[in-house]
Amino acid sequence: MLGRMSAPQPSAASAAASDRDGPPAPRRARLGRPVPDEAGVVGVLVLLVLGVGLLQPDFLQTGNLLTTAHNSVYVGLMACGMVFALAMREVDLSVGGVYAMGVVVGALLIRDGMSTWLAVLVVLALSAFVGAVNGAVTTYLRLPSFIVTLATSMLLRGVGLALAEGKQITDLPQDDAFFRVLGGEEFLGAPNAVWVFGAAVVALTVLFTRTRFGARVRAIGSNPEAAEFGGLPVTRTRIAALALSGLMAGLAAVLALAFFIAGDPTIGQGYELTAIAAAIIGGTPLKGGSGSVIGAAAGTLILGVVTAALVFFEVPINWTTFATGGVILVAVGAAPLVRRVRDLRATRDPRAVRDPRPVDGDGRSPGRKP
Amino acid sequence: MLVASGLVKRYGGVTALDGVGIALEAGEVHALVGENGAGKSTLVKIISGVVRPGGGTIELDGRPVRFADARQAARQGVAIVSQELMIYDDLTVLENLFPYGAPRRGGLVSARETRRLAQPVLDELGLDLDPRVKAGELPLADRQLLEICRALLQDPRVLILDEPTSALPRAAADRLAGVTRRLAGRGLAVLYISHFLEEVMRVATRVTVLRDGRVVLPGAPVADVGLDSLVTAMLGQPAREAIPPAAAPPRPGGAAVSLTGVTVPGRLREVSVRAAAGEIVGLAGLQGSGHLAVLDAVCGRARPSAGTVRLPDGRSPRSARQAVTSGVAFITGDRKGRGLMLDKPLWENVTSVSWLGQGRGGPMPRRSRLVERSRGHLDRLRVRGEVRAKASDLSGGNQQKVVLAKWLDAAPAVLALDDPTRGVDVGARTELHDIVRGLAADGKVVLIASTDLAELVELCHRVLVFQRGRVVDELAGDRLTEAELSLAMNAGFAAT
Repeated sequence: MLGRMSAPQPSAASAAASDRDGPPAPRRARLGRPVPDEAGVVGVLVLLVLGVGLLQPDFLQTGNLLTTAHNSVYVGLMACGMVFALAMREVDLSVGGVYAMGVVVGALLIRDGMSTWLAVLVVLALSAFVGAVNGAVTTYLRLPSFIVTLATSMLLRGVGLALAEGKQITDLPQDDAFFRVLGGEEFLGAPNAVWVFGAAVVALTVLFTRTRFGARVRAIGSNPEAAEFGGLPVTRTRIAALALSGLMAGLAAVLALAFFIAGDPTIGQGYELTAIAAAIIGGTPLKGGSGSVIGAAAGTLILGVVTAALVFFEVPINWTTFATGGVILVAVGAAPLVRRVRDLRATRDPRAVRDPRPVDGDGRSPGRKP
Repeated sequence: MLVASGLVKRYGGVTALDGVGIALEAGEVHALVGENGAGKSTLVKIISGVVRPGGGTIELDGRPVRFADARQAARQGVAIVSQELMIYDDLTVLENLFPYGAPRRGGLVSARETRRLAQPVLDELGLDLDPRVKAGELPLADRQLLEICRALLQDPRVLILDEPTSALPRAAADRLAGVTRRLAGRGLAVLYISHFLEEVMRVATRVTVLRDGRVVLPGAPVADVGLDSLVTAMLGQPAREAIPPAAAPPRPGGAAVSLTGVTVPGRLREVSVRAAAGEIVGLAGLQGSGHLAVLDAVCGRARPSAGTVRLPDGRSPRSARQAVTSGVAFITGDRKGRGLMLDKPLWENVTSVSWLGQGRGGPMPRRSRLVERSRGHLDRLRVRGEVRAKASDLSGGNQQKVVLAKWLDAAPAVLALDDPTRGVDVGARTELHDIVRGLAADGKVVLIASTDLAELVELCHRVLVFQRGRVVDELAGDRLTEAELSLAMNAGFAAT
């Protein structure tokens, strides 16, 4: 949906002229298998961690790295869900609201005596339901999801504030197994929340790349009209994708509730935008059709590492937001640059030495404007 | 006026142009023809500054020139109307005419001045438009003329028309031919690229033929070149005789598509059509006459307010999705818009209907199996492209075969074809026609609409002619000729 907001587009772009002479050489022909698009982001993440570690060796301590990862879990889950929305040319601005509402509702239910695990199920179901409503309203009223989820985001945050009466909900049964297992306990040295995040990344990656549902999401994002003509269940898929995005925000809320053992209605302000930024850093374009769950997770971790590193470099806490903004800009700006370098290298071919500008070969030469 | 010589262009390891030269003279319409992949588009892109050549020179009035981009070429007097329309749908007609900035007065755009400049050109092209209307609301033919109008406002000396009529109905194409000749008469050099060879013969004064990146016929006077030798030069072999439609195909008893008294508000009025298995039925008409509404009704995209549509499985299509599950294939020439996912590999395109639409293969099939199945279809249709290649890397003809492949993978009973060879070269067109004939012979119901009347005549057993939402004529046998068809489509309109 964001794509439609851009400036007037010519009714046809030159990129896909139907009579294209001279097909470009297959990309990355020299390598046996194409390098996955995620490799770049993951590489940047590793370099970033090592780079910070070089200057501040303490940063590389396992405990610190795990804490950094644990802090990134909440936005990370939302970013992974966001990939499905973005890949379908939709956007889900309500995840921050779902997150806050989930934390508050869960805290209230537990405080009022509901079994913790049942409360977890209620929060997850409610979050998925809210996401499905986003999808249904978007589809049936033919509104951009940008607007619909902007509205629901405020609605949900408002519900959270009202239910909690503007205060934190504390006095929760701290000794309950739920708070122990998902809040503090570790498995093989890592917090369980990090394992949950890891499992979610794996599951969503499989869902996105290997299943019919994932393929439908990508197909609809790639060409909605062709998808409609091809008989794809566009409505159902859109609702399911936004429900999934809501569910991930709900899962983040459950983990946050377990960790903080409190229901704070003002939690997660601006998380939706960070999640979108993380997904984009991870190689999911706003124009839809493709995406990467692993990339989104790596993108979140990059942002998390930067935030943590700032503490090590003793940057005043009030500058963190500024720095995060800078990182997003650099990361998002670097991605197309890296891609262009890679394309250049792929088209550089001994037989093409006389060609001064091999980039034109992919037909995406930018100069063609009326 | 414009002389290009020794142009070389390579894309990766592929040589698109190998020492190509062309000389355009003032006052001529110079046609450029060749199959897909012959190098036409590359040559045009170089002359219009979109792509820089790997070697060779371009001279304008004897001076060597180098264009850094299209805008610089435009400033030096080379204007192009590209095959893919470059019209801003959300801007008005006037705003579209001055993309590099409208005339201003006191810093603000002057509507009066703009109109004063634009009106004579609009008049010359016979475009009677409200300049305040948004371009997206205009019919395709008018948008095409609008783009030509924009090119003329740059006051060019060389005008390149790249496939200007591939999307136009016959009448508009004829009007455009007249305009083209008039412009040349004013001293412009016009480079005219078209797939329609007969049109080239009518419009152009000279013709250059490209094959495999080389010039095989340099600027020969059209009068000296026959249609046959033109085709021979393009293909490198004599043209094949068109196959006349099979004599006795329809099996009236078999499965059929039928429309009974179907009314679609504003588009169809109580139309009854029946197409039997094995039959190829053409749907013809001027723009907005209702022939396309029949396809939409069959594909579940237009809901009749009265009457019924029956598919071979006895069901009525209530949605696009349901039509697809009932075995209706929608094979469109609008590859970019409705046909393909251009950014996706071929195998994902080919399996997109059967797997993602009809659900065959289950929620989590083995990818290798999908790829294999796609490869089978692509091989059978002789698509030149790897299964893992992106659809956008293919030529128009091969892309069109991929559209066909994805629908064949869905095992359809009905083929609804809409302009299925738009912008496709002669060789691929013939191949596609053969495939469609074969499918009909296999017992599929085939409905086809096309802006290419020759296509309807060659392919169809009978053609229904539509006017104002009704069937006004049915042509078959000896009456099924391009001339009769054109006449039937336009009959009654000439008087008004």
